[in-house]
Amino acid sequence: MSETRPSVSRRGFLKLGAASGGALAAGALLPPAVAEAARRRGLLNARGDGVIPTLCEMCVWRCGILARVQEGRVVKLDGNPDHPHSLGKMCARGQSGLMTTYDRDRVLHPLIRVGERGSGLFRRASWEEALDHTAEKMLALRDQYGPEAMVFSSTHNLSQTQFENLLGAFGSPNYGTQRSLCFNSMVTAFLLTYGIEEPARNYAAADYILLVGRNLAEAISTSETGALIEAVARGAKLVYLDPRFTKTAAKASEWIPIRPGTDAAFLLAMIQVIVSEHLGDCDFAKQYIVGCEDLPAAMAGYTPEWAEAKTGVPADTIRRIAREFAAAKRRALAHPGWRTSNFVNSFQTERAIATLNAIVGNVFESNGCLTAESPEAGGVSLGKPPQPAYPRVAAARLDGVPWKYPLVPLKLGVFQELRDAILAGTPYQAHGWFIARQNPVMSLPDRHRTLQAMAKLDFIVNVDVLLNDTGWYADVVLPEASYLERYDPLSVVEGKVFLRQPAVQPQGEARSALWIYQQLGQRLGLGDYFQYADEEDYLRQQLAPLGVQLEDLQKTGYYEPPAEAPTTGYTFHTPSGKIEVYSETLAKAGFSPWPTWEEPPVPPAGQYYLLTGKVGQHTQFATQNNAYLHKYQDEPRLWMNEDVAHRLGLTDGEKVEVASPVGRVTVPLLATQAIRPDCVYLPPGFGHRSKGLRTAYGVGASDSDLHVSYVDPISGGQALSQTFVSVRRA
Amino acid sequence: MTADAWRTQLRRLHPTPFGLVLAVLVAIGALVALVRYASGIGAISHLSNTYSWGLWISLDLLCGVALGAGAFTMAAIVYILDLAQFRPILRPAILTGFLGYLMVIVALLVDLGRPERIWHLMIYQNVHSVLFEVGVCVMLYTTVLAIEFLPVLLGPTHWEKPLRILHATTLPLVIAGVVLSTLHQSSLGSLFLIMPSKVDPLWYSPLLPLFFFLTAVAVGLSMVIVESSASARAFHRGLELDLLDRLAKAVPYVLGLYLVLRLGDLVLRGNLPRLFSEPVALLLWLELIVGVAAPMVFFSRKENRRSPKGLLIGSLLVIAGVVLNRFDVSLLAQHHLGGQAYLPSLGELAISLGIISAGILAFAFVARFFPLFESETHDPESAAAPAPASLIGT
Amino acid sequence: MSETTPLAILFDATRCIDCRACMVACSAENEVAMDDTRIWLTGAGVIGRFPQLNRATMPYHCMHCLEPACASACPVGAWTKRDDGPVVYDSARCIGCRYCMNACPFGVPHFEWNKGIVEQPLITKCSLCAHRLDAGQPPACVQTCLTGALRFGPRSEMLAEAKKRIADHPGKYVGRVYGEMENGGTSYLILSHVPFEQLGLPAVPPVPVNQATEAVMRGTIPFAIGWAIALSAVAGGVRLYKREARKPTAPDDAPSADASSTQEKTGHDG
Repeated sequence: MSETRPSVSRRGFLKLGAASGGALAAGALLPPAVAEAARRRGLLNARGDGVIPTLCEMCVWRCGILARVQEGRVVKLDGNPDHPHSLGKMCARGQSGLMTTYDRDRVLHPLIRVGERGSGLFRRASWEEALDHTAEKMLALRDQYGPEAMVFSSTHNLSQTQFENLLGAFGSPNYGTQRSLCFNSMVTAFLLTYGIEEPARNYAAADYILLVGRNLAEAISTSETGALIEAVARGAKLVYLDPRFTKTAAKASEWIPIRPGTDAAFLLAMIQVIVSEHLGDCDFAKQYIVGCEDLPAAMAGYTPEWAEAKTGVPADTIRRIAREFAAAKRRALAHPGWRTSNFVNSFQTERAIATLNAIVGNVFESNGCLTAESPEAGGVSLGKPPQPAYPRVAAARLDGVPWKYPLVPLKLGVFQELRDAILAGTPYQAHGWFIARQNPVMSLPDRHRTLQAMAKLDFIVNVDVLLNDTGWYADVVLPEASYLERYDPLSVVEGKVFLRQPAVQPQGEARSALWIYQQLGQRLGLGDYFQYADEEDYLRQQLAPLGVQLEDLQKTGYYEPPAEAPTTGYTFHTPSGKIEVYSETLAKAGFSPWPTWEEPPVPPAGQYYLLTGKVGQHTQFATQNNAYLHKYQDEPRLWMNEDVAHRLGLTDGEKVEVASPVGRVTVPLLATQAIRPDCVYLPPGFGHRSKGLRTAYGVGASDSDLHVSYVDPISGGQALSQTFVSVRRA
Repeated sequence: MTADAWRTQLRRLHPTPFGLVLAVLVAIGALVALVRYASGIGAISHLSNTYSWGLWISLDLLCGVALGAGAFTMAAIVYILDLAQFRPILRPAILTGFLGYLMVIVALLVDLGRPERIWHLMIYQNVHSVLFEVGVCVMLYTTVLAIEFLPVLLGPTHWEKPLRILHATTLPLVIAGVVLSTLHQSSLGSLFLIMPSKVDPLWYSPLLPLFFFLTAVAVGLSMVIVESSASARAFHRGLELDLLDRLAKAVPYVLGLYLVLRLGDLVLRGNLPRLFSEPVALLLWLELIVGVAAPMVFFSRKENRRSPKGLLIGSLLVIAGVVLNRFDVSLLAQHHLGGQAYLPSLGELAISLGIISAGILAFAFVARFFPLFESETHDPESAAAPAPASLIGT
Repeated sequence: MSETTPLAILFDATRCIDCRACMVACSAENEVAMDDTRIWLTGAGVIGRFPQLNRATMPYHCMHCLEPACASACPVGAWTKRDDGPVVYDSARCIGCRYCMNACPFGVPHFEWNKGIVEQPLITKCSLCAHRLDAGQPPACVQTCLTGALRFGPRSEMLAEAKKRIADHPGKYVGRVYGEMENGGTSYLILSHVPFEQLGLPAVPPVPVNQATEAVMRGTIPFAIGWAIALSAVAGGVRLYKREARKPTAPDDAPSADASSTQEKTGHDG
C-alpha cells in the first residue's frame, strides 16, 4: 500500500473549533435572532441543536442540504434526500462547506481601501459609511458619465434576480456574467438549433453515451455524475473524447485521446456516416428537422478519413462509433457538454452535437434521454415585489452585444470583451465596476490585462464572502454572509420550490445580498425597486401566488406545487418551430447555416496545447482557501506526457517555467502517461494573489496568467484551450 | 546524612572525564525528553504512522531487557543450581539487571504516548495481549530485583527484621524471578508473532519466544562478563577469572542449542533458500557468524576464556549478535506498508544515549558508595573469598 | 434476546471517481484534526502507457476485521469489536504504546505524534461511525458517496451482492472479494477491476494474525506453573543430592570442609 496522501500543507492547521475562535463565539451567542426563529419553528431545540434544510452554494449545481447544528454551530452537512440534485448525497465541496463558513479569512466587516490597489491595505468601516460611500461614488459616476459608465457583473447565483434588478434600475446596460468563459457555445448552439438553452439528460434512458469533454467525474454535478456512473455500471457504453485521461476517461468504455480543437471533425464525420448510410431516424428527421434533405450533401466532405487527418483518430474507429451510436437509436445520447474542447470552433462542435441527437430522433421524447426541460427552467410562477419599470437604456453594451456579436444572447454576454472594452475605452470609457460573487481577476483569460483594465477604473466595489483576488484589488469590499448564514430568493428545481435559509447566525457584520442590494438601492434613490421589509418579507412575496406559508418551507426546505399536466408533443422554440440543423438565423447573420468545420490553430514546433479542465475537489477559483479541500486536493502541477518530459530531460516534480504570448508562470511538473504528447495541462483555480486567502496564497500557478483571449464571433465563447505554451526547466 | 556528610561524600566522587561526558549526555537526553513532553513525540523523533516503533523499542526496550538477563541467569546459577561459588558476581549482576530494567522503564516513559497512564496495566487487563504479559512481568520482576537489591542500599541498621524475613524467602523469590524472566524474555519475541507479514520469513517463526529466551541467557552471561571486566578496570579490582571462565564455557552450549533450533526451523519451514537469495539475509548471516558461530568457536578455547581480553572479545561478539538480532526482528528485517523510511533522529539518539549514560553513572555511583563487590582482590587467580551470604550478600 | 447483525461496507472500485467526498465527510463527522485523516487515498493512480491506460485508487481505512489484531494486541483492551461490526476505541484506557499500529496487518491506526503530554495524544482510526450506527444511520462516507461506490448493510448481504456483481459482469472484476478471507475476514469488502495490490491493498493471509499470540497467552499460566515446579524440583533435587553426597557412608569419613556446609547453611538462613 502506498499512502499517497494529497498535499497536506506543513502549516499547522488549527482544529475547527480553535480556528474559528472569534467567529465561533459569535455563532454560539444566545439567543441569536435567527436561531430563536428556528427554535420557534421547532427546528432547533433549546440548546441550539437540530437539523436545518437549506441549499448548498459550493457550486452551481446547488444541491439541497441538511445542516446539522449543535449549540448554534454547523457541525455537519449532508445531502437532502428530497432535492433532485443531491438525492441525499454530497460531493467533497458540499461536505466541506462548513469550512468556508468558518474560514479564518472570512471578510466580516465592510472594508475601504487605504493603500494602493493590490496592497491589501484596507480599513474597517461601518455599513453606514461603506454603503454611503459606495452610493456616493456610483451616483457621481452616473451624473458625470451616465449610468453606462458603471459595469455590473455577477456569476450565476440565487440573488441574481436582485442583482439584475439593481443594474436595471441603475440604468446600465453593462452586465457581465461568466457564461462566456463557460458555456456560451453550448447555449447559443442549442438556442439556435432547438430553441432552448440546455436540454436535460436522463441517463436511465440511455444505453450509448457520447461525452465530448464534460468531465463529469471531476466537474461534479452530484446527481448527474451519479446517474452517469450508474448507467455505466448497468452496462451502458460510454465514449469519451478528451486529450487527457481524466477520471471520466477511466470510467469510459472507450476513451478517445482526440487532438484538441478537433471534436467538431469527429462529430461531423459521425453525422456524415449516419446520414450517408441512412442509419438515422428518417421519419423523425423529415418531420422535425429543417434541412434534413440537404444534410447529406452538406456533410459530404466530412468523411471519417478526412476526420482522421484532423483528429488523429482512426477512420475505422469513427465509423464504428457512428454506427454504434445510430444503432442505439433513441437510447443514444450525445451529451450537450459545456465547453467541449474549449476552442473557438466549440460552437460548431455544439451544433454538431445538437445535430447528432436530432438525427437519431432522441430529442424531447418524454422519458427519453434528452428532454426539453432545462434544469434551470422553473415551470413555477413565483411572485415578486412590485416595482416601477426600468429606465430606458440608451447606451450600447460595452461587450459588443448585439452590435458586434449579433447572435449572443443578452443574458450571456461576452465577458472578456467587456474587460477589453474597459481597457480600450471604446466605444466609451467605463469608470466603475460592481462585482458580486465573482472573481474576474482569476477567471478572465490574461490576468495581466484584467488588472490593467481595472487600473483604468475610478471605483471598484466587491461583494463577497472572502477577500478573494478581485476583492484584493477593489476599493470597497462589502461582506456577504455565507450561504449557511443567509436567506436568498427561492430556487425552483424540477418543479419543486426550494428555500435557502440560515442555519446559523451570520458572523461579524456579514449580511445577505438581498439586504446589501436593497440598502445600496435605497441610497441610490432606487428604493422603489426594492420593496421588501426584509429577507423573509421578500420570500413571502415570492410565495404569495402559490398560497403557501414561508413557515411550511422552513420545516422541510421545499414546497412541491401540484404537478402541471405534462406537455405532449414536441415544441421547438425556433423561428420555424422545428429543429434547425440548417439555421436561417445563422445564414442571415453571415455565418454558415450548417454545422461546419472551422480549422483550429495548431501549436508551433516545440510548443504545446495548454489544456484546462476541472478538479473534483474544487469549484473553479472559489474554494482553494477551504481548509478541508486544501487538505484533500492534489498538489497543483503542470501535467506533461512522461515520455515527452523524459526527452526534454525534465524530471517529475521539478519546477518548470511555462510561457505563453501573454505571460509566464513557474510550477512543479507532473510527468504522466495520462495526457497526449502534444499537450500540457494546468489544474485551474490556483495561483491566488490575494494575501487575504492565507491558505490558498502562493499555492500553484494561475492559468489566467497564460491564457490569450480568443473569442468566438458567433457565440462569444472564450477559447480557453487555444493558448499554446512553451515549457522549460525553471 | 548531614549536610557535611553529603559534602564529604560528593567530594569523594572524583569525576573522571568519562563520567563528565556521561553526565553531559544525561543532561542533553533530559532536555530532549522535556521537548518530547512539551511538544509531542513527533517534535523530536522520526517515528511515523509507518514506523511507530523505532530506536527506543529496538534498543532501549528489547536490548535493554535482553542485556539485563544476567540477573536471573546468575540468580538461577547461585540459588537453583546451588553453585554458591558464583555469589561474588551475583550482586553486581543483580544491580546491572535492576538498573537495566529501570532504564527500560525510563525509556518507556518517553516512548509511551501516554506515560502518565503506565499504571493502567494494573487496572485494564487484556489477557489476550502479549504486551500485557510483558508489561506485568516487567513490573513484577523489577519489583523482585528491587527487593533483592534494596537491602544493599539501605544498609544493615534498622532493617534487621524485614531483612531476615526477606532472606528466608530467597529461593521462592529467585524462582519467581526466573519464571517471570523466562516469561517476559520470551514474550518480547512473542510480540512479533502477530506480524507474520511484516517480519521477514527468515526471522519469523513460531519459535521466536524460544529464540529470544536462549539468546537472552547467552547475552546475560556475556553481560556479566563485560560488566565484571569494566568494573575491574574502573574500580581497580581483580577479575574473577575462574568464575567468568566457567560462565564463558556455558555460552557455546546455549548458543549451540540456539543455532541448531534456528537453522532447523529455517530448513523445516522451507525458508532456507531465502538465506541465499535475499539481500536482507545478509543481516542474518551477520547475526549467525559474528554473534553465534564466532563466539562459539572463540569460547570453546580455554586460553580465550582465561584471559581478560579474550573474555571481553567473546562477550562483545555475543552482545553484538543479540543487539543485531533484536534490531532485525523489530526494525531492520521488517517490511512496512507505506512509503516512508525510518532513520532514528538525533533526538531519539540523545534520549537513548542519555538513558544508557545514566545507567552507567548509576552503576558507578553504587559501586563507589555501596558494598557492591564482596572482596577487593588483586589476584586474578584466587577464588572469591567466602562471604556471609544473604539475598545477594551483605 | 435479539441477535445483532454484523454490518459491512462494500466498496466497488469501478464506481469510485476519486472525488474524496468520503474523506471530507469523515473528517467533518468525526472532527478529525487537520493534520490527520481517517480515510486516505491509496492505489497506483494512472496505470499503463498512453493511450492504453487505466486508473486505480481507493479510499483506504480501517477494515474492521472480524478478528481484529488491534483488539487482541492492546495490553489495556482499548479496542473492542462490537457485534454489529465496528472496532471501537476506549480512549480512556489507551497508554499510547502503539502495539496496535504494529499488529495491524493493514497498517491502519494513526497516532497523534504532534501532541505533547498536556494535549493528551491518542490513537485515531475509522470507527465505522459507530455513533451513527447507533442512530440507525450508515457511516458518513457511505451516506455521501454520490456514485454508489460505497454501500452498507449486513455483511452477508454485502458479500452476496459483491459475488453477484462478479458473476453478472464476467471480466469486469477480479474474481474474488477482498476482505472475505483476509485476516479471517473483514467488514470492509472490496470489489476491484485491477489486482488488489494496484489498489494499495496488502496481501494478507486468511489466518487471523492474533492466533499465534493468543496461543502463546493461553499457554502462559500453565507454562509458568510448570516451569516453577520444574525449577523447584531442580533446586530441591540439587540440594538433596549434595546433602546425600555429604552424608558419611562410614564412620571414618569425616564431613567435608566446614566451608561448604557453612555455605550451604547460610545459603538458607544467612
